[in-house]
Amino acid sequence: MRLNRRNFLEGALAGSALVTLGGPLRQAAFAAEPGAQAPILVFVHMRGACDGLNLLCPSNDSSLIAARPAELRVADSGDKAGHSVPSEATPKIDWRLHSAAPELAGLYKAKTLAFVHAAGIPEPNRSHFVANDIMDRGAAGSGALGHAGNGWLARYLGQAKRADGRLPAISASGSLAGEFAGFSSAFAVGDLANGLPLPFDEKAAGAVEALYRQAQGAAGTAGVRALEAAKLIAARLPRDAGGKFVPYAEQKEAYDKAGDIGRGLRTVARLIKADTGLEMASVDCGGWDTHEGQPGRFQGNVQRLSSALGAFWNDISAYHGRVTVVAYSEFGRRLRANKSAGTDHGRGGVMIAMGAGVKGGRILGPWPGLEEAALEERVDLAVKTDYRQVLSELLEYHSGQPLNAAVFPGYKAPAHLGIFA
Amino acid sequence: MDVLDFPLSRLCYAAHSEDALEVQRGGLPAWLGRQLEAKDANSPDLQGRLHSFRLQIKYAAGDGQPAPNGATKNWPAMDEARSLRYFEAPIGTAWALLDPKAIHPNEEYQRPWHEVAAATVIRAVHSRAQLYERMVAFWHDHFNVLATDNRQVGCALPAYDRDTIRPHALGNFRELLEAVASSPAMLVYLSNASSRAGGDNENYGRELMELHTLGRGAYLNDHYGRWRDVPGAAEGKPAGYIDEDVYEAARAFTGWTVENGQRLDGATELPRTGKFVYVEGWHDGYQKRVLSTEFAPYAAPLADGRKVLDLTAFHPATARFVCLKLCRTFVSDNPPQSLVESAAKVWQENAKKPNQIAAVMKHIALSPEFAASKGAKPKSPLALAASFARVAGIDLTPTQPLYQSLAQCGQRLFGWPTPDGRPTSAEYYLTPEYLRERWFLVARLAANAWNTGEPKTLTAQANGGMPRLADAGTYWVQRFAGPNASPGPFLAALGVDLGLPAKDPKRLAQIAGVCAAAPQFQMT
Repeated sequence: MRLNRRNFLEGALAGSALVTLGGPLRQAAFAAEPGAQAPILVFVHMRGACDGLNLLCPSNDSSLIAARPAELRVADSGDKAGHSVPSEATPKIDWRLHSAAPELAGLYKAKTLAFVHAAGIPEPNRSHFVANDIMDRGAAGSGALGHAGNGWLARYLGQAKRADGRLPAISASGSLAGEFAGFSSAFAVGDLANGLPLPFDEKAAGAVEALYRQAQGAAGTAGVRALEAAKLIAARLPRDAGGKFVPYAEQKEAYDKAGDIGRGLRTVARLIKADTGLEMASVDCGGWDTHEGQPGRFQGNVQRLSSALGAFWNDISAYHGRVTVVAYSEFGRRLRANKSAGTDHGRGGVMIAMGAGVKGGRILGPWPGLEEAALEERVDLAVKTDYRQVLSELLEYHSGQPLNAAVFPGYKAPAHLGIFA
Repeated sequence: MDVLDFPLSRLCYAAHSEDALEVQRGGLPAWLGRQLEAKDANSPDLQGRLHSFRLQIKYAAGDGQPAPNGATKNWPAMDEARSLRYFEAPIGTAWALLDPKAIHPNEEYQRPWHEVAAATVIRAVHSRAQLYERMVAFWHDHFNVLATDNRQVGCALPAYDRDTIRPHALGNFRELLEAVASSPAMLVYLSNASSRAGGDNENYGRELMELHTLGRGAYLNDHYGRWRDVPGAAEGKPAGYIDEDVYEAARAFTGWTVENGQRLDGATELPRTGKFVYVEGWHDGYQKRVLSTEFAPYAAPLADGRKVLDLTAFHPATARFVCLKLCRTFVSDNPPQSLVESAAKVWQENAKKPNQIAAVMKHIALSPEFAASKGAKPKSPLALAASFARVAGIDLTPTQPLYQSLAQCGQRLFGWPTPDGRPTSAEYYLTPEYLRERWFLVARLAANAWNTGEPKTLTAQANGGMPRLADAGTYWVQRFAGPNASPGPFLAALGVDLGLPAKDPKRLAQIAGVCAAAPQFQMT
């Protein structure tokens, strides 16, 4: 078993009998052989542009109070009071986490979870679809989209060789997330609550596989891979005496209620436990495009996000030393509300990091404030932390070495924020 | 020519045997000419099917508890096959469900859009105007709304499908664009209905430019704050748009809303009809500048919005963007640039003609690039189901498990969550996950596991139409995997005892279902 810095430290702390080499052993990418205690990174996409100011709110900021009605801020008192999440870096700000996020507040207080505020893409781009593409490619702006064809995680994962018969990267949804595009060992795996059945028996599966092996083009490749993935996962999921997959019962209520993110995180948890060699997973949490009627919609979204992350963290308690989750959104929303009780497209947003390695209980990144002069184009929370800074620090922490420049071409991270340690 | 063959498979959900005959006898241009007139879109046979169809509705009795609005949840348990009523009724009929003083079971609120979904499936299989139905679906995706976004969108969906999309699906884009801009479904979905001067809502204005017309390729936001520097701006012909154009467009559409009981002033309220209305008092009447064009203050009612629709609909970037999307849908995921350009030229030449879209489709479908694209596109899950239904003799009765399966294949009907609409690419549809679900879909249809209808062709084969399993197996392998597929090894691998008589319909259904998992049948 090869080691990286983190699992070396963890092993040492746990008193495991490890061959130590006098210090952390560095490696190019994650260990990939079966049984290795490789880190598992989970990326949650808050699709639709989450209003970071309404999720992690500087509740006593006078500019915010002037720009928004109370229901688009987080209250500091009353029955809808947000959870107080003080930060050493900005002691005068009364940071309040949305009242619907008790699980996230608990994880923050337990120092498992940290926030990076005023984060986003460098280019001022207020298109959901372009901004998502920029993030998927790990680019600074739309100029790179024409030629950088594959995803940033594809470039990262592509650097290491892996044994066959493993599933290093999955999108826990029907289709593959953009950050994996171009990585041929990445799979989309939908809801695994009831296993991964095929509509036919083994003989028929063999016959169908032969057809796909002979076929040319996209369908042929996809079919062969579908059958391989199904076989691999199916072999590792528990079955009852009659050979049927055992439905997944852990955290059922919380996952069931949380929609896409609940289904996604359940699939990730199930794969982690099935030991299929998972290193990276991508999960969607949609519905954040709150141009209208934001108070109710946002509350529901925060509830789903928070309860699903809380349930996931409880579900994988045996793996806390290996799993790190980063949640982010394509951009934040405008400081000033519109007259539809909503907010329009903005710039800076909030990123969440939780789990293994996270120095939690902190709000990181320079906070520009919300005075008019500090706003981007006088209207939006400025982007002070490049989203790639957080992702770079994550990968460098887990790999124990400087990030290969090919992952984020042209990007040089400034000094670390120190999210992970 | 077989009903499953290209190009019919590309241009139809499920070609009828008459279509195959027509193409064989008269050639593709003649068949296409008739399809582009869409005369059979409301044929008596199809209308008869829609009118006689009964869609199940089921819910438990109300618990007698008060709802937040004070109404009591008092209703009897329901489990009946009910005829479609909203799909032909004016929008007010569905909108009446939204009476704020009333409360209904969820299933009643969902009923209007459930009817549209049911009619969509019925038409996909049974309409003779197959290309028209594909175009209707194209525009539903292009101008996507999410039926479950809120109850208003769901209740507006029958009118959106019938009055907004269908009349223009092969017509004129500028007219279609205004029909969409003034449709209750889109006004609600993209929040323009609540947009007000002085705090306008940018949602529609942005997606109008990015998704409906010019396209993201024309978003030139590196010119933010410098509209004069956008190429062509000096001549009033900017190459693209910037955020300020979005903001100004949003101002132009203030006052375009839906009658839903909103208070106008102390004394008056709008009625609750669900109809489009322009409210002058909510409109931002001052001067504007959109796409380098000055708008005078205090324009006539609706004139500002219509001017934005003119500027965007007739923009050359729109011609390229929408034609690229048509070519991506009907030719290949990465269509030849030559075809996109020639289609955009036809688009522009016909910009003010009533059959503009038909002219572009004719150009695309008769192009050499199209002819060379056999096998380049995956079928949508609905097309997969419909084409399987055609050859297996299944009616494809819409049922909940069928919808669920389509959703698990990546096509939740009227359920794409974001305004960009569902992709049609192999990259999207042929993931391992979706492909596995597609195999389930055809296998379950063959077995009639979801009450979608008896596979009459299979029944006939079992009743003496085919002597041995080997004959039936060979037939289905070659039907779905192509005439060059050698059935022997496949059937041997399946473990079919080839000598057995083909009299067990279940075994036949199994064989046909597995054969329909063939890669060739997923593509067109």
